[in-house]
Amino acid sequence: MNVFAILAVVVLLAFIAYATARIGPRFMVRRLAGLVFVLLGVSFIIFILGFFAPGDAVFTQLGQHYTPQAAAALRHAYGLDLPWYTQYLNYLNRLIHFDLGTSFTNDTRTVWQILQLYVPASVQLGISGTVLALIVGVPLGILAAVRANSRVDASLQAVGLVFYALPSFVIIPLFFVAMVSLHQRGIPTLATSGWGTIDSEIAPIAIFGLGIFAYYLRLTRASMLEVLGQDYVRTARAKGVRERVVVWRHAFRNAVIPLLTAVGPALAFAVVGVFIVEDFFNIPGIGEETINAISQRDFPIVQGVTILLASAVVFMNLVTDVAYGLADPRIKTQ
Amino acid sequence: MQIDDKSRETTDTPKRMEMFSSTGLGVPPMPPTAANIKDLGPASDSPTRTSIQAELDARAEGISDEKPISPFRASLRRFARDRRAVISLIIVVFIFVASIIGPFIYEHIGPTIKGGFSSNIVEGPQVYHDPIHQELLRSDQPPTLAYPLGTDRVGRDILARLLAGVNVSVQVAFLVLLFDIGLGLIVGTLAGYYGGLIDTFLARFTDLIFAFPALLFASVAAATLGTEFTDRLGPSGRLILVSLALGITIWPQMARYVRGQTLQLKEQQFIEASRTVGTSDRGIITRHIVPNLFSIVLTAATLDIVGIIIGEATISLLGLGVQPPGSSLGLMISEAAPMIPVAFHEILFPVLTLAIIVLCLSFVGDGIGDAFNPRRKD
Repeated sequence: MNVFAILAVVVLLAFIAYATARIGPRFMVRRLAGLVFVLLGVSFIIFILGFFAPGDAVFTQLGQHYTPQAAAALRHAYGLDLPWYTQYLNYLNRLIHFDLGTSFTNDTRTVWQILQLYVPASVQLGISGTVLALIVGVPLGILAAVRANSRVDASLQAVGLVFYALPSFVIIPLFFVAMVSLHQRGIPTLATSGWGTIDSEIAPIAIFGLGIFAYYLRLTRASMLEVLGQDYVRTARAKGVRERVVVWRHAFRNAVIPLLTAVGPALAFAVVGVFIVEDFFNIPGIGEETINAISQRDFPIVQGVTILLASAVVFMNLVTDVAYGLADPRIKTQ
Repeated sequence: MQIDDKSRETTDTPKRMEMFSSTGLGVPPMPPTAANIKDLGPASDSPTRTSIQAELDARAEGISDEKPISPFRASLRRFARDRRAVISLIIVVFIFVASIIGPFIYEHIGPTIKGGFSSNIVEGPQVYHDPIHQELLRSDQPPTLAYPLGTDRVGRDILARLLAGVNVSVQVAFLVLLFDIGLGLIVGTLAGYYGGLIDTFLARFTDLIFAFPALLFASVAAATLGTEFTDRLGPSGRLILVSLALGITIWPQMARYVRGQTLQLKEQQFIEASRTVGTSDRGIITRHIVPNLFSIVLTAATLDIVGIIIGEATISLLGLGVQPPGSSLGLMISEAAPMIPVAFHEILFPVLTLAIIVLCLSFVGDGIGDAFNPRRKD
């Protein structure tokens, strides 16, 4: 067992215990049942896809030493000669023990080691980009809502729609073209590949953030518009409360709650962006590694990544639900 | 009953229709006729009564002036007034149609060139305007008369490959939409109308799909089953597989919209009335519910096309979708990426084409959303 797994389990259990105490067991039991179902489903789908995939890890591993006897022996050693349901149960059993298996193409490394090696860069990219997107997107969304239907709002919405709709693999090539043409004129440019130095991290983080800031802009605008139209905001204005206080203290605080629900889906949304950005900028992240694993049919890695991502999404959804329940007591009774 | 001023103001026909179509129902109540206005009898002294009378008079006048238009027509008119959406629609349709019939015209346009390794083979446009024909001595060329958008790194015509690539996007979009709308409508209406087991199934399945990164699923499916599909179904097998994978990830969203709308419709009076006269469940669903889902399905489908085209491009970009020498916008981008310092036009054209398609489709989707669901909040 490794430290990260133990730490993750401890944090998870503490969180569940705290939330159950605050919100009540019924809500939590239903949420947890849903969570388990989703994880089982995801693990089953990814397992079956791997099971029915043509090509065989044993064949790749033996290479020129391939003989039918050696292959059969190795299959037996891996448990690959068992029927699919036994294999799936074995797989689940290993999952519960945080054993994700060993890479097919690189048999000295376990999937955990590979994840530990490549996930940090991706997480760093994802979190910095999301923070950047929030810093830019939320205030602009508030601005658009406060100045609703003005020219400012219209242009913010137009910019938002453009960046919301365009995939990152449209923006990145244009950025590269710009960098190359600047470089050819002798103007210093940002690095377009690698990871680990500030110079090389600016561009991918900025582009990743740019790709998702519009999402938060649109969300914040919609949420703020709804809150600003409510009676208590009118009352606050009628009392003579200053506009800045109305916007920030009365309206924004309540507009944040719907923003919270977007965290889970936004995570799944961010994954695609991370994959593409890593692919273009040659970042040694999990996206790049997964794409390689997919094309090399290295299933333990693909399965490990999928389970990890699904757990992250499901866990974020749980946190969101619970945060919602804590913030708004009415949820409990539903 | 509370009468508020706003509802009284909306008396002229188009506005009233707008109100009804906005609920997506498309079933306005009987317009008041001269006959049932008379039934009200003489106006009383109370101000409310007189204002109602005045309103009904105004309404009757408005109706006698112009024919009532159907909510669908009203929505179309509203869409036609949205200039940005209409222009975008024209551009998108032009690009899509060009990708289908364009290659047949394009192969006859262009001068004859001398190709081959010793530049001694005379070739007409029908040879070098083939998306997979290579002229290695003419690779990485900027736009010329023979190659309007230049050539890529192995000397293939970029415009021909663009047309073929967009054609792939159109095919995938068409296949996925068939799947998406078909399954979304069936499961969505059944889940909304009957609830119960199928509703639970939909909810659980949606949870599952939302937790599973769609791109990852489609990529893994394309990588594992790609050769199998190609063997069984020929060269287009992979395309069908990618469409299927995208369809599986995309339909629950459509089913959820349909379900929500069905739930609302189910409670409406005209459904109740129809049930009272003995219409079967099947009749209610096919004759009354499904037609009223039109606007929501249209809106969702337009926005889904954007997701599908980007999805196909992403999978091909990662090398798991369309395989070389085939063409796809994503594949063109990934092939041209290393050539940026040498010949950036190679990446510029597919990127711009994709950007134009995606933006225009988003504008169209926005316009349709506004026109068919005016009350929709963004």
